[in-house]
Amino acid sequence: MTAAITANLPVFIIIAPLFVAFVLPTLAQRMRLVENLVISVEALMLFGACYLASIVLFQKGIPIIYQMGGWSAPWGIELKVGSLGAFFLLVIAIVSLPIALFARGNLTFEVGGKERRARFYVLYLLLVGALAGMALTNDLFNVYVLVEVATLSCCGLVSARNHPRAAKATFTYLILATLGSCLVMGGIGFIYIVTGHLNMGFASQELGRIWQNNPRVVWMAFSFMLVGFGVKSALFPLHVWLPDAHSVAPSPASAILSGLAVKGYLICLLKVLYNVFGHTLMQTYSVHKVLVLVGMVAIIAGSISALTQDDLKRRLAFSTVAQVGYIFLGFGLLNTKGLAGTLFYLASHAVIKSTLFLSAGAMLAVTGKKNIKDLSGIGRKMPVTTAAFTVSSLGLIGIPLFSGFVGKWHLLLGSFESDNILSVAVIIAGSVLCAAYLFPIIRIAYFESAPEKDWKDPNVPQKLALILLSIVIVVLGVVPGSLLELAGRAAAELLVLQ
Amino acid sequence: MKDFILKRMASIILPFICIYGFYVIFHGHISPGGSFAGGIIVGLSFIAFSTIYGTEKGRKKLPEKVLVWTESYGTLWYGIMGMVGIIKGVPFLTNKLAGVNLGVPGTLNSGGLISFIGFGVGIRVASTMITLFFTMMEEE
Repeated sequence: MTAAITANLPVFIIIAPLFVAFVLPTLAQRMRLVENLVISVEALMLFGACYLASIVLFQKGIPIIYQMGGWSAPWGIELKVGSLGAFFLLVIAIVSLPIALFARGNLTFEVGGKERRARFYVLYLLLVGALAGMALTNDLFNVYVLVEVATLSCCGLVSARNHPRAAKATFTYLILATLGSCLVMGGIGFIYIVTGHLNMGFASQELGRIWQNNPRVVWMAFSFMLVGFGVKSALFPLHVWLPDAHSVAPSPASAILSGLAVKGYLICLLKVLYNVFGHTLMQTYSVHKVLVLVGMVAIIAGSISALTQDDLKRRLAFSTVAQVGYIFLGFGLLNTKGLAGTLFYLASHAVIKSTLFLSAGAMLAVTGKKNIKDLSGIGRKMPVTTAAFTVSSLGLIGIPLFSGFVGKWHLLLGSFESDNILSVAVIIAGSVLCAAYLFPIIRIAYFESAPEKDWKDPNVPQKLALILLSIVIVVLGVVPGSLLELAGRAAAELLVLQ
Repeated sequence: MKDFILKRMASIILPFICIYGFYVIFHGHISPGGSFAGGIIVGLSFIAFSTIYGTEKGRKKLPEKVLVWTESYGTLWYGIMGMVGIIKGVPFLTNKLAGVNLGVPGTLNSGGLISFIGFGVGIRVASTMITLFFTMMEEE
């Protein structure tokens, strides 16, 4: 029995949330059971992810290959638990469990009655399952299918609050995300035309051999993939949907959208760029320079747009645009340190941005005010929430001892290694701008007088979620240890190919 | 409404359309079509019933609860069929290696678990189509 479970763990970790998601609509009247099911499946995912990560670390680079239906690679669909997959799986499990816990306490306020809450959980678990699939899949068409599943569940999550603005934001998101899906599909089609393979490993081998035959088609595939995943992961000029969508969504949904969903597309892009095209082809087509350039533009533009926002959640949403810039910049550095730094930064941003959105959501739920100015003195009335907000802000800025620092430090080292002084300057400027848009909130929260109102910390599950996430931020900052090692090994594996 | 001819004709034709839908679902592995197309035909028969006889009568035939259950467990059925392989000690969704009798090629009894999976997908697609229709009809 245990042998069957451990041997099939890669597939269980994807289908467990999906299975529960399928059953939930029939249990909508028994909300207690639904919430317990969601939390327990998330906890099981965390166990499974830890187990897979420890195996991958222990095996020293030999990935676990799972063949769906018993068909081997070029014909069948493969799941590959390499360092990258195990790393992202761990991130998903670590972030999605506290968000589910928070949703348990907060969702009645954000979403409404039983039916709506049950539907929210269905979409939530579908998204988590799709993300877990993105982490593990080694098949290009699977990437497309999972991207679609994730996109549609994201649309549902954005519109989970019954509000006209939510409907408008969802519609914009749906149109742009569908455009992105089409481009991704086109990119996959071009790769398939050139290579005749959908399996990433085989497609990569073929591309390395015969890309000279159709250089223009490969160029099209590159650009389609970049723009397609760029739209989905809110790269700067293509980010127009993100601020609306992430600020009107219910807070737990904003947390998972900003924290994990965007990262899922980034991981897919990383897989396509490094596992399919490979870094030599990227250098031939100068894709890495484009990535660094758009990353730098996104950091500066996203941070400056965040500075101009007065709405708390919109400011956080624009901050996501800036942080996605860091990750794109790191994708283009083409050295182990930079890539490991990007991956670690991706993980830490997933944790940090979820904490920020959840604590912001808790504040909004209590005060009913969206504007930052209206939060004066909230630090004394809601100590736990504001402490979590502060810890995650410090992490996002990149203060030592918080997780953001480790990622940014390695990004800086990687930039130095590739002699890209401009990107070093931009990373530092981005941190300063980040401080400029986050510190005023903390100042208002702690150092201004509070109005005479009955503001209290949220209930126990919400507090627990915030505390758990804050602990993760600090622990990752003080002892990055095995997660950083996993990221480093994933980076080395990505660069070794070809 | 007094469209006698339409209602009589519908009562004669619709059962056959529904059965034809199931035929397409179950022959998905040996003939064109399949569970998605078949599911849509099954759904269509109920949609046509509700447009001809009125949404209330259609609702009475297929209450929301039934639709929710078929939609949820139709999808789950796919997963359960996949678990057959795991129980037999081979990967997820395995067909032949799991010891399923593949039957005679080209006949209805071929493809092992495929037709069972198709059945789940079919009723899921049918109930989704009907749910979408009812949602749009009852929107005002």
